[in-house]
Amino acid sequence: MLLIKNLHASIGEKEILRGIDLEVKTGEVHAIMGPNGSGKSTLASVLAGREDYEVTEGSVNFLGKDLLDLAPEERAAEGIFLAFQYPVEIPGVSTTNFLKSAVNEIRKYRGEEPMDAVQFLKMFKEKMAYVNIDQSLLSRALNEGFSGGEKKRNEIFQMAVLDPKLAILDETDSGLDIDALRIVAEGVNKLKSPENATIVVTHYQRLLDYIVPDFVHVLYKGRIVKSGTKELALELEERGYDWIKSQVD
Amino acid sequence: MLSTELNTALQEIAEKLGKNSEQGKALSQFISKGFPTSKWEEWKYTSLKDFNDTTRNWFPQGEAQISSSVDWASCIIRSTNAHFTVEKPCQQKGIELLNFEEFIQKCPDFSTIWEKKNPILDQNSLFDLNVALSPQHWVIWVKKGVDVDQAILLKYVVNSLETASAAQSRLLIYLEEGAKLSLVEQQNSAGTADILSNYVQEIFVSNGAHFTYLKDQDFQDGVSHIDHTFIYQEEGSQVDTFTFSINASLIRNNLHFYINGPQVVSNLNGLYIPGENQLMDSHTVVDHRMPHSESNELFKGVLMGNATGVFNGKIFVRQDAQKTNAFQSCRNVLASSRATMNTKPQLEIWADDVKCSHGTTTGQLNEEALFYMRSRGISLPAARTLLLLAFVQEVINKVDHEVMRELLTEKIVAKIQQSVDLSK
Repeated sequence: MLLIKNLHASIGEKEILRGIDLEVKTGEVHAIMGPNGSGKSTLASVLAGREDYEVTEGSVNFLGKDLLDLAPEERAAEGIFLAFQYPVEIPGVSTTNFLKSAVNEIRKYRGEEPMDAVQFLKMFKEKMAYVNIDQSLLSRALNEGFSGGEKKRNEIFQMAVLDPKLAILDETDSGLDIDALRIVAEGVNKLKSPENATIVVTHYQRLLDYIVPDFVHVLYKGRIVKSGTKELALELEERGYDWIKSQVD
Repeated sequence: MLSTELNTALQEIAEKLGKNSEQGKALSQFISKGFPTSKWEEWKYTSLKDFNDTTRNWFPQGEAQISSSVDWASCIIRSTNAHFTVEKPCQQKGIELLNFEEFIQKCPDFSTIWEKKNPILDQNSLFDLNVALSPQHWVIWVKKGVDVDQAILLKYVVNSLETASAAQSRLLIYLEEGAKLSLVEQQNSAGTADILSNYVQEIFVSNGAHFTYLKDQDFQDGVSHIDHTFIYQEEGSQVDTFTFSINASLIRNNLHFYINGPQVVSNLNGLYIPGENQLMDSHTVVDHRMPHSESNELFKGVLMGNATGVFNGKIFVRQDAQKTNAFQSCRNVLASSRATMNTKPQLEIWADDVKCSHGTTTGQLNEEALFYMRSRGISLPAARTLLLLAFVQEVINKVDHEVMRELLTEKIVAKIQQSVDLSK
């Protein structure tokens, strides 16, 4: 599904990703871990198409297409979804309106007919029940005045509505208490299927108790320095990142 | 300074008006000052320098073409090049539409009010020009206690035909004690040449009266509209104004509120969306002359293309105006890197027991928000439009006339969408 080869990316003069290689297949869950400043969030941002970063080398292939050639909205239409570490407040636009626009723009991109109000409502209700989110939250301005937990839950709801092929969760656990964490993780697990894949970017092992990865990769200084199965995450939890740093440096 | 040619042309008109008549005097005053230029502090960003050199047809004819009617208006008035006609008369008793001379005969008591008015006219030569050249002084008069149940529609049209012209429309609105009126004004234009639309409205709102004034300013390019709206409020009255500046080459709104009694409420709402080669300027004055009153001012702007916007908001709280609450807010989005916004809040407070606040902001669309929306599949132009519409919605939502609210939304969406598409 996703094939990253020798990916280099910089912000300004500073090179942050220095040759990432990663393959994600359908049905898989990959965890990207690593100490602060290792480039985890940069990788998520580059995949989603954030324009602050310049890709200087390498390639990213997503379902046969050159991902780096596509605008962020085209990537979304191709099936990429980034759950933000800090979801942005959009004053004056309700979640409902926001998602109506998104769904219909994506349908337009795919050459499908737009959904009418009735179809929308039906689909919304189904997804709401699915991720256990309240109507009142959806009619408010998107993320405006939401608590940390509400914002993350809203991200998962958006993910449910847009039904991506590849979901990238960028530090979704940051700022969440244990209950919120569990709710969010349950949502992610429910949305998992043999047809889609998930990349979980996280600093702590905690989230991986709830979203169990098939593979764990450790990012350090812009490279994947170690890959393994979920046991690697547990080892990291126990020993910290220092032993990996010392192996690399 | 006027060009020699223009000076001669206007001098001739002044002779005809009679040098000692009110109109002749006003014209002489205008001739000595000329059109404002950027050297005038009040016109720093809105120079009318070029107008000093352009000869115009000063009395364009007011041919009234009847257009489609609406069913929501209690009556329809039309002003074509400053000539007023009644298109659909009022059925309700207690509303009169008439000329000033006739009005003063029927309502002699108004003379005292008329003489007492004391507007702030610093650097406003265009007011003189209007007084001098307006062909008709029209009055909407709502009598004591009359609640006009449906809005009055005023179709204000300037038509240059094919020659550079100027129209000087003058309107007086008088609400007697306890009267209630909602006026919807659609300002439009026709013709192929440039036109100066110079419009004076003097509005007297008596004790306990309630006046709502909605202006939909939607002209062709080539129209320069200068709007002087002076509102005098007496005890316990309320006035709500909504000024939507949608299109024109130039719009200058001088919106003045004179609060002459206690327990007065004044709400000023405005939205301007200038595009390529357009300038929109709002100069507001709220003059708290008496205690225990309240004013709320909300102006918002979306500036597109190489547009220029100006907001100058003056609030005076005179020494007698204790316990005044005066709030002002002006927020702007520069939707293009070539657009400019000039804001200047000006508060002069002479009383010590008052609450006043003001805030002006000018910014660009939030890049993070745009990326967030794009990452969900919304294209960049659609994301920009969505954010801009959300921004202007606050002002539109305050309009409680449903038909107009929908019409305004439609026009504003169309203009924003078009400009956003052009600039992508």
